[in-house]
Formats: sequence, structure tokens, C-alpha cells
Amino acid sequence: MASNICFKALTVVLTAVSFMGKAYTQTPVPSLRPVTATYSIETGSSHLADTYLSPIKYSGWSAAFSYERWQAMKFSPEKWVMRLSVRAELDRAVNPAKNSAIWNAGMRGSWSMMRRYRLPVERLTAGIGPMTDLHFGCMYLPRNGNNPAQAHAAFTVGIAAFLTYGLHIGRLPVTIGYQPSLPLVGAFFVPEYGELYYEISLGNHPNSVHAAWPASYRAIYNLITSDLHLGSTTLRLGYRFDLISSQANHITSRHITHMAVIGIGGEWLSVAQRRPLTDTSRIISAYY
Amino acid sequence: MTMRLSAPSYIFPIAIILAACCGCHPIEEFDNDPEGNFETLWRTVDEHYCFFSEKEIDWNTIHDRYRPLINDGMTSRELFLVCADMLEELRDGHTNLSSGFATSYYRKWWSDYPQNFDARLIQQYYFNFHYTQIGAWMYGILPQNVGYIRIPTFSSGLGHGNIDAVLSDLRTCLGLIIDVRDNGGGNLSNVQTLVEHFITNTADVGYMIHKTGPGHGDFSEAYPINYEPAGANHVTWQKPVVILTNRSTFSAANHFVAVMSGLSGVTIAGATTGGGSGMPYSSELPCGWSVRMSAVSMLDADGNPTESGISPDQGCAVDLDPVDALNGVDTMLEFAIRKIIDELEN
Repeated sequence: MASNICFKALTVVLTAVSFMGKAYTQTPVPSLRPVTATYSIETGSSHLADTYLSPIKYSGWSAAFSYERWQAMKFSPEKWVMRLSVRAELDRAVNPAKNSAIWNAGMRGSWSMMRRYRLPVERLTAGIGPMTDLHFGCMYLPRNGNNPAQAHAAFTVGIAAFLTYGLHIGRLPVTIGYQPSLPLVGAFFVPEYGELYYEISLGNHPNSVHAAWPASYRAIYNLITSDLHLGSTTLRLGYRFDLISSQANHITSRHITHMAVIGIGGEWLSVAQRRPLTDTSRIISAYY
Repeated sequence: MTMRLSAPSYIFPIAIILAACCGCHPIEEFDNDPEGNFETLWRTVDEHYCFFSEKEIDWNTIHDRYRPLINDGMTSRELFLVCADMLEELRDGHTNLSSGFATSYYRKWWSDYPQNFDARLIQQYYFNFHYTQIGAWMYGILPQNVGYIRIPTFSSGLGHGNIDAVLSDLRTCLGLIIDVRDNGGGNLSNVQTLVEHFITNTADVGYMIHKTGPGHGDFSEAYPINYEPAGANHVTWQKPVVILTNRSTFSAANHFVAVMSGLSGVTIAGATTGGGSGMPYSSELPCGWSVRMSAVSMLDADGNPTESGISPDQGCAVDLDPVDALNGVDTMLEFAIRKIIDELEN
């Protein structure tokens, strides 16, 4: 009697396990999430000021190399996308008297995760979400003796967004895009008002890290692009306007750039051998 | 298909508009005319200069005295002369205004005093031009078996290995004279490298104070400066040392004297140094002229200011006798040699 009950119980458990296994193998075909990557070079005008170095505003040129990567997120590819962007920049600006130049070199990396919305207008997509941004660099004014350089570093979180619209120019598919990013809070570095980096190098760095919020640290990054889809390759033409302004320890700093952008990119899809592309596979693009 | 936008979708454009409205933090700028350049200069000094209190300078009164001399019709050179005269009121050898045609310079800190140094006197009459040159340094052994090192500047320095070589060459000497007369300064790091060969333990050699804001009283706490010994792999000099100074021993050289005066076995001899303990800060005017001024005050190991110079040790004040010099004798160097020999005999 007891052995009969045990046998029936074992049968039920094995049956349940077998259904579970079946349910697992019958999960809908996984979504394929291509990476949209773009490499761009940028050039344009730069406006630099830092009262630690000089009370005068400098203007000149700016050049940058940027990398941008979009991908739908694994946990909810239809709704959530991520963007990673890395940018290296170099500026040279001169004073109004044109007898002195500031060099600026910097790196910026940001990562954002945006909720995507298909808007009522056909082919119009918008997204918005949180962003983290790390920015660091250095301004160098050779004519200054003991205060020839000013380091910049900021880590912020904020909001990133995008708006894209697909259209055709003749037979050429084009995606128009706008990507604003707005750092809101975080922390940034500024030396004390009259402190020399020599003293900082000795180990004295009081009050050099400050809370970043709109009263002390304002930044906005704007990128307007038109992506021309030439077969499997995309030619990007665009315009960037970036503004960073900070004020702490009675030191005001700003960096404004207007840049023309030209880049090349495409969508890359890696397909694993064990999960090959099938007729039922769903390809979910993050940006286009 | 229609979709309601969520709250963040509305907030973000508003945030962008707000950010755009707020814009950059303001930076006050003056016009590039005589008045604008004068006011920029006056304000830059007002906000950064660090010795107003110590020198009892009323900078507002000075503004009121020089401002009426500015007018739109004046030439650049006329403006420069007025600005240079105003900066002279600071009585500071670290304060300069530099234009494309001239650099202002306050000279009275040394021109009102005897020079007390003639390099040729030593090169010719004490070494007959047979001395060793390494970088900017010259050194050799005097007939009394006293080592002599002349350091004319700290703008260029020697590394630990070079200093090891110099001190090793002089290792059999009874003592060492380091001549920093006419040394107008240079880099503090070169001072540190040298001093590290004269200490055997971590030494508190002084303090730094910087401005924390534009107010005349906005100063930081005094931050201690420590030097570490060069270490067991390097030569450390532990015999008597005499530092020879004159009024043109200035800035980083003044700091060197301040540091060495706190070490045992070191005597400061000669004339009071020129001071210059304020580390200069640079800025500029709308017309492109650059200005620099003392902005960070350096104190000695006891926390005393050294801006007005460092006096020789008691009984060690000595000037160069011009008559001796004509006879090929450096009075101050002779005093230093005697000091080392006397110290060893006593």
C-alpha cells in the first residue's frame, strides 16, 4: 500500500518536472538586440573661462572624437534602451587681445537608461531616463607662473532623453534625432580660491570637492543628428551644443562648445551559434 | 495607437528651459579701455594679494589716488606707467605688470642696499677659475679645506644623484659654505631636493597660507610643510654649514635660508635676505597685459612671516668691504670660513 502511494507521488513529481521543462523550452524566441554604434569626429568653436586662471573669457576652436552605443535592454527590450557615450575633446582658445591661449583637454563618459515611447505620430519615438556622467579634464594657460593649470572633474547623475523621427529623402532613409542630457546632482572638484596646485601636491586639499546641483554646477549637452542610412552603413551629420558652468570657492568656470558632427556607424548584431537567427526572431533596434 | 505621456516627459523639457534660463554663472568683465584695464588690475590685486595687512597697505585709498590719473585719451604707455606706479605701492618684488613693451618691477627691495657680492671675486681670487661646474652650481675646495658651493638660482636644480656627487667630492672638508647671494629664487621643489641632504629625520620646515576668498582677511589655516630626508642611499651632510646671504637672496632662495636656519649646525651669515615669501599668482587684463602678485604666504618653521627678509644669525651680519674686494678678498666669504674653523676649534 505504502509503496503504491510512493509510486503515485513520484509519478506526479516527474510529470510536473517534465511540464516545467517543456514550459522552459517553449519560451518565445529571444529578442535580438542589435548594437547601434557611431564613431564621430567633431569640430567647432569653443568658449572657455576659468577665473582661477584669468578673469578674461577666451574663444577658439574645439575638436573631439566621440563614440556612441545604443542597445535595447535585455530585461525589457521593447520599452527600455541604454546609451553609452564616450567623448575626448581638445580645445584651444585665445584671449581678446590674442596674445595668450588656453588649452583644454578632457574626457567625458556617460551611461543612460531610457524608457522608450512610441508617440502618436508615426515613426516618431521618444525616450527619457536617468543618466550618470563622468567628466574630467584640465585647462592649461602657459603664461601663468604658479597657477598655469586648472583641473576639472565631475561625477553627476541627471536626465537623458532622445527624440527620433524616421523619414525618406527621395529613396534614402534618414533618421533625425535629438539627444539632450542634463546632469542635475553629483560632486565636482574645485581647488580653494587662491590655493596653488603645489600645495595640493603636498597633500593639502581642503574644500576641494563640492556638491553639484543647479546652483553650483550647470551643464546641458545637446546633440542633433541626421543619420543617413546608406545600406548597412550610416552616415551621421549633426550639431552639438554643450555647456558646462560651475561656481564654487569663488571660482567660476565655464566651457561652451558649438560643434559640427560627422560620423559613421551602423547596427551590429552578434548571433550565437547555439541560438541562430530564425524566421521568428525579433530584432529590436534601440535607436532607429 | 495613442499613448499618454508620463510625468517625466513633461518635466524634462521644463528642466531644459530652466537650465537655459539660468545659463552660465556670471563672470564680471571690464571693457578694454583705460578705465576697464585699470579697474581689472586694481580688483585682481584687491582680491588676491596676500600682504595688505602685514604691510599696512590701504588698497582703497590707493585706488582713489590713482583712479583720477586714468582718462580715455591716455596712451597705452601712459596707462602702463600709472598702473606700474600703483603696483609699486605694494613694495613687493614678486609683483609685476607685463605688457608687450615693458615689465614693471619694484626694485627698492634690493637697490636700496649694498650688493655684497661679486662672483668674479671668488672665481678668480679663490679658485683661479679652477672650480667645478654642474648645472648652474659651481663648487670647489677652498685653501682652508672648506667646501664651497655657489647656487646662483633655484630655477634649475640638481637631482639627488648630482647632489650626492657634489657632496662626495667635498666629503673631506671641515665644513661647507653654501653661497646663495644674488640667488633670485626659482622652484621650491629644487630647494626641497637640496635640503633633504641636510636632514636625518622628517623636518617641519614651514607653513603655507592661501586665500580662501576675495576678502582681505580670507585666509586658510597654516598648512605645515614637511621634508623627508634623502635617505640611506644618498649622501647626507652633517658637518658645519654656513649659508651666505645678501639682499638679493630672494623668493625660493629666501625660503631655502628660512628652512636651513632651523637646522642644527647651520649658520646664516652675511646680510638680511630680500624676502619674497609670497608665492606669485598670475592673472591678466582685458588688453592682454599679464600681472602677477604674491598670493600665497609662506612662513618659517616657527610660523613667522619672512616677506621682509631673514636676518643673519646673531653676530654674523657682515658686508662685503669694497676695499677688501679691490684686494681680491671677499669679506663675507672670509667670515664664513673663519666661522667654520672657529666652530670646529671650539
